[in-house]
Amino acid sequence: MSQDVNTTSPTDGVKRREFLKVIGASGAAATLVGCASDKVEKLIPYVSSPDNTVPGVSSYYATTCRECAAGCGLIIETRDGRAIKAEGNPEHPVNQGALCARGQSALQGLYNPDRFRGPMIREGGKLVATTWDKALDAVKAKLVEHKGKAASAVFINQHEQGSFPAFLDQWLAGFGLAPHIGYDAEAPLAAVAANRAAYGVSWPKLDFSAAKLIVSFGADYLDGWGLSVQQQLAFSEARANINEAPRVVYIGARRSLTGLNADSWIPARPGSEKAVAEALLAAVKGSGSLKSAADAAGVSVASLESLAKELLAAKPSLLIAGGNGEDATGTALAVAELNKALGNVGVTIKPAEGSLAYEGASSHAAVREAAERMAAGSVSLAIIRGANPAHTMPGAVKFADAFAKVGFKVSFSSYPDETTGLCDVVLPDHHSLESWGDAEPVKGTLALQQPVMDPVFNTRATADVLIALAKAESALGAKMPVDYRAFIAGRAGGAANLTAALPKGFTNGSVLAVGAAKAVTPKSGAGISQSQGAYFLHVYPSPILGDGRGANKPWLQELPDPVTKTLWQTVIELHPETALKLSIEQGDHATVETAQGSLTAPVYLYIGIRPDTIGIATGRGHTAYGRYAKDCGFNPMLLLPTVEDARSGAVTLVSTKAGLKKATGNSRLVTTEGSGRQHGRGIARAVSVDQYRKGELHEEKEAFVGQASTAFLPGLRSPVANDAQGELGDPNSKNKGQYDPNHWSGAAKRRWAMTIDLAKCTGCSACVTACYAENNIPTVGAPWQGGQVMPDRTGFGANITRSREMAWIRLERYFEIDREPKDVEFNPDFETRVIPMMCQHCGNAPCEPVCPVYATYHSPDGLNVQVYNRCVGTRYCSNNCPYKVRYYNWFGYGEPDRTQYAFPEPLHWQLNPDVTVRGKGIMEKCSFCVQRIKEAENRAKLEQRELKPDEFTSACAQACPSRAIIFGDAADEQWSVAKMLKDERGYHVFEDLNTYTAVVYLLKVNHPSPAAATKA
Amino acid sequence: MATIAQPSHDGPRRPNIASANVQLPAVKDYEQVDDEILATLVPTKKWFALLALAVCFLMVGIASWMYQIHEGLGVAGYNPPVMWGVYIITFVFWVGIGHAGTLISAILYLFRAGFRTTIYRCAEAMTVFAVMTAGLFPIIHIGRPWKFFWLIPYPNWRLLWPNFKSPLVWDVFAISTYLTISTTFLFIGLIPDIATLRDRCVNPVRKQILAMLSFGWRNSEAEWRHFVRAYLFLAAFSTPLVLSVHSVVSFDFAMALTPGWHTTIFPPYFVAGAIFSGIGMVFTIIIPIRKYFKLQHYVTLNHLDAAAKLALFTSMVVGCAYIVEFFIAWYGGVQAEQDYFWNRVFGQWWWAAWIMLTCNMILPLSLFSQKLRRNPSWLWILSIFINIGMWFERFVIVVPSLSHEFEPWQWTTYSPTWVDYGILLGSFGWFFMWFLLFIKQFPVLAISEIKEIIPPKMKGKGPRGGH
Repeated sequence: MSQDVNTTSPTDGVKRREFLKVIGASGAAATLVGCASDKVEKLIPYVSSPDNTVPGVSSYYATTCRECAAGCGLIIETRDGRAIKAEGNPEHPVNQGALCARGQSALQGLYNPDRFRGPMIREGGKLVATTWDKALDAVKAKLVEHKGKAASAVFINQHEQGSFPAFLDQWLAGFGLAPHIGYDAEAPLAAVAANRAAYGVSWPKLDFSAAKLIVSFGADYLDGWGLSVQQQLAFSEARANINEAPRVVYIGARRSLTGLNADSWIPARPGSEKAVAEALLAAVKGSGSLKSAADAAGVSVASLESLAKELLAAKPSLLIAGGNGEDATGTALAVAELNKALGNVGVTIKPAEGSLAYEGASSHAAVREAAERMAAGSVSLAIIRGANPAHTMPGAVKFADAFAKVGFKVSFSSYPDETTGLCDVVLPDHHSLESWGDAEPVKGTLALQQPVMDPVFNTRATADVLIALAKAESALGAKMPVDYRAFIAGRAGGAANLTAALPKGFTNGSVLAVGAAKAVTPKSGAGISQSQGAYFLHVYPSPILGDGRGANKPWLQELPDPVTKTLWQTVIELHPETALKLSIEQGDHATVETAQGSLTAPVYLYIGIRPDTIGIATGRGHTAYGRYAKDCGFNPMLLLPTVEDARSGAVTLVSTKAGLKKATGNSRLVTTEGSGRQHGRGIARAVSVDQYRKGELHEEKEAFVGQASTAFLPGLRSPVANDAQGELGDPNSKNKGQYDPNHWSGAAKRRWAMTIDLAKCTGCSACVTACYAENNIPTVGAPWQGGQVMPDRTGFGANITRSREMAWIRLERYFEIDREPKDVEFNPDFETRVIPMMCQHCGNAPCEPVCPVYATYHSPDGLNVQVYNRCVGTRYCSNNCPYKVRYYNWFGYGEPDRTQYAFPEPLHWQLNPDVTVRGKGIMEKCSFCVQRIKEAENRAKLEQRELKPDEFTSACAQACPSRAIIFGDAADEQWSVAKMLKDERGYHVFEDLNTYTAVVYLLKVNHPSPAAATKA
Repeated sequence: MATIAQPSHDGPRRPNIASANVQLPAVKDYEQVDDEILATLVPTKKWFALLALAVCFLMVGIASWMYQIHEGLGVAGYNPPVMWGVYIITFVFWVGIGHAGTLISAILYLFRAGFRTTIYRCAEAMTVFAVMTAGLFPIIHIGRPWKFFWLIPYPNWRLLWPNFKSPLVWDVFAISTYLTISTTFLFIGLIPDIATLRDRCVNPVRKQILAMLSFGWRNSEAEWRHFVRAYLFLAAFSTPLVLSVHSVVSFDFAMALTPGWHTTIFPPYFVAGAIFSGIGMVFTIIIPIRKYFKLQHYVTLNHLDAAAKLALFTSMVVGCAYIVEFFIAWYGGVQAEQDYFWNRVFGQWWWAAWIMLTCNMILPLSLFSQKLRRNPSWLWILSIFINIGMWFERFVIVVPSLSHEFEPWQWTTYSPTWVDYGILLGSFGWFFMWFLLFIKQFPVLAISEIKEIIPPKMKGKGPRGGH
């Protein structure tokens, strides 16, 4: 937006916070002082300590995640009054302790340097800082003016589950205004509408474990569609039970992460999903031919016939419909009929145990209709909270233009987003981690949301602002609670109950039910096949950034898309075949044109998309929204027409064709992908389920010639670097070296190790963000972190184009195709493997002997340790690491006075005080969360006991929504990891290099279609 | 080699016996030697201009380095996992150049190769300055250059020692030893010449300094006896260093697991390459010197011819090593190694590999022709190609290996930035600055040794008296 948003803070300052900052930062600062002659920061103790606060010891608060509508349970770790880590609440019914990348990034929303630091008011065409009194007076006056004029005021609220929507409607009613619009650009509204019609609930529970066959009609249940974490937990659990695991078939024009995790892909043309579902329904019922559906979908009849056969054979199955097409509800209803016909309802689809996440969400049509009223000039007061329709609505709606015509606009947003930039008054809301709330993730369970720390800035909780406005201006005030905390206490059954329930995070109860959203007639289109253009335009919600609300968080910007592996950049996904036809190569610019506009971006060649389809992710292309989001990438919503799903009024992301032509220019893709092929290196390995059953687990051809050993267990115990070839390396040797738990020296009784089950891992990348959060890993892709000093690379991701990302753990995504992307013809049958790669903590580590100063060495409990203070930065260790998991501080990412500083105030409040912030010129890598190991060991020592099995785990394992990562002591049989190590699927990567790694991967297991299996 | 002279067995061993091929027919007597060679010490405008240019290059290098220290190594073109780049390449390049000097002055001395006489001083000075240049690069290369002394084993209250298993620590010893010995060797060889300078000097201060540097050389029989002993001892002492230093440098690579590095052929291969590059640099330097100082009758075509044969021989050794590397990659059957070598020659890095093969293996074959061996212009052009080729040899070893390792996900590319180029340029500025200063302070041809190979003036035969 053109208006400047002034975010300077008012004068009342943050003195107390400065004080806390000094306390928390001093740990990190003291370490820095040790190695450089930087200025010394003083450690100031509390004069009188707050209750229950021990400096250096964390407190934990249970609350509810608000990053999407799912409502996962959170445990926030706070240290000295500051939230430093978000983890899943292990007891929460939705996420059971796991947490996705977006949920973990809530902290970067809390500490976002571009947050409003206090209320703002428009003066002279610019938003300037003001006081709460002045801002509230301005709003009050307008409210009084509009009292009772329901048609002239609009309140758009970001949809969230809980009592707030109903509370808001009560408040609006008190002023005689119409109920609010609960807008969620990501909500799968078509599926919700179909679920209501078919199963009677908005969101039934999907039981993946019970199914023998899973068929997804464009439902990206691993990409953030629906209750992402819950679905992933269930899916991975089902797939890990290998003999009973369901086979997965994905139907859709583009293989999303869900599609890549499927065993087969039926690449149906956009718009044909409904025909396919209906034809399958007919086929399952024993009538009709699949020919016409196959033609409409552009797939082979055989593939649909074999699917129909499988559906009849594999009962129960689980069919899930998603997608964002024009008749998505129709597709979902047809799929629901299929589920009913196959007897899946109640078996794999459990309406009784559903979620209430999408109750009360309004249709996109309602927002569009409001925009039309605004454009017509009949709205004179608009209030917006959380949502950002100026960015997330299709370009054809022209929301920003319409919104600008409203006489008086109020925003409760915390961030200077596009919509807020147009507003006259900003009353910044507390972040969800600073405010009270509730949610009902499962019927009858009231999940609580509580402040985990004092507000970072001069913000106020919207609910409390509403209460204050009501109390001052109307008779409604008397009915209002004292504050929103009191209101929540009321829902939880009284203040005493609330206090008792808070440590756990939830209690029995229910939220205040919101009334049904106003029905708005959707605007349907003429059908995708009728629109102009040679290619189908497949716009999809980014699994990382969602509708764009994640774009201001550097952790999410720097998290590679699980499929394309691009970051800080919007790419146009094209199939290599199409690209060849247009003589476009990877990185060449191309222009996508629709009737609404055009977009020019670099091309990413993706073999998992139909050759007649163009894929573009949402989420980027902000024109405001802070330093990390503004001008980064492009917004494909601007290409979309106003076409809504005919029954649910949901926005249709796949509803138009587009023209495509090569544009001038070429840019380096901002990607972490080197080669997306394994080249026979045997890194991510897999077997088919038949091989698994026959015990043919380890193919010799994947090992290097002359290296036959697959007996990996001794490797874990005999890691003496200078005896790699000798007695200790011999699996039959009795002498297991100093790592033998029974070794006479008693040097070590523990051997920290990790197993990663590739049958479970989906590649979602939540572990990556967990690692960033736990280990103070700097993000390096902002333009000022590289572009300024490398004139040949500018813009977002400049450092990443030189592979300088710092992620200690990365997800490698390999396509099992020999050829490199540019010469691959379309073939839907390709396998994808993902493998998390981090420091393998080799027993015989190649990095250790080459370090000239002992900056890396081996600890007796099996860790490969990196001593930051001792490192002089020769980088030899990295050269000698076969796994390439060492990361170097090319710039002073951790030094506040540098342009490349990765944690601008107050982002650095999140830094983990237990982990050193690294200076420039030194090497770093995965430490197996050594700070967590030491914390647990110290705690056990203080309590005069031994470590309990599985007492703690690493950050990646803690977050993993697939539960694929297990960390612990391999030398103690009671730990889970010691049991997992014995799994027959285990293997070491590059075992033949004699590195004796402490990370054991378990083979992925594929489930080929019965037809393919018999053919083989 | 044809030019290796037979040592004389009668009387005390003399350092050099002239053979027919290396005699200097145009040099008549000792005075002519003194006059002509000392005439090169007079500063000229051209010399000042060249020195100014070298200092400018050095300034560019210093500025680039300061910028890099301030901002971090990110300003250089590193592209992980290519964690070593131009600086390590240039380090090995300069260490390699430093080899020819000691080879020529020490090994050829022991072998009584007469052709070394006129070129060894130049080569030896080149060695010292090349090693001085090379020694800077590990410091420029590391992330925290202000901590480089941690690589040196010095007693400290933390009782921390460097890791003696690390080849980088071996480098510290190898380079520092080599620099010490080659500097000493250069200086010892200079003593009689410094004495000559002292005798002719008129500036009292300068005379005093030269007198100190010459240790009061009086040209006595005893002094000569000690001198020859010391020289022989140092020559014998330096000889194994020629082999060991570059072997140790090659261990930086050979001790690693990295495909393309992990090979036992590296020590001999690196030594041969180092000598080859050193002789290339000798040509680069000596040919202009003989032309502009008009010393063609000292550094004769016969000398150049002999040195060119040495270049041809080492080029063939290096070429043989290239071929053996490919053979072993195929024969070893390690897939990562095979992929890497394929990628080196026909993949991503084909241009670098072919520059290397053309300059180091193919072009030097022209030296089979005697005509070209005796053509200084061609030798000079070829030497430039050899310098480029040898720089690229190290490029091909360092960069493609790291960019194409075991992990396909981490395969990358590499392109240096202006900072890399600036520091590379600065290293040439640094080297030539010292060299240019040297040639105006000390005779670039060894006066005393040249006097040994010209026929001594007999009484009454010449227009002037004897020495």
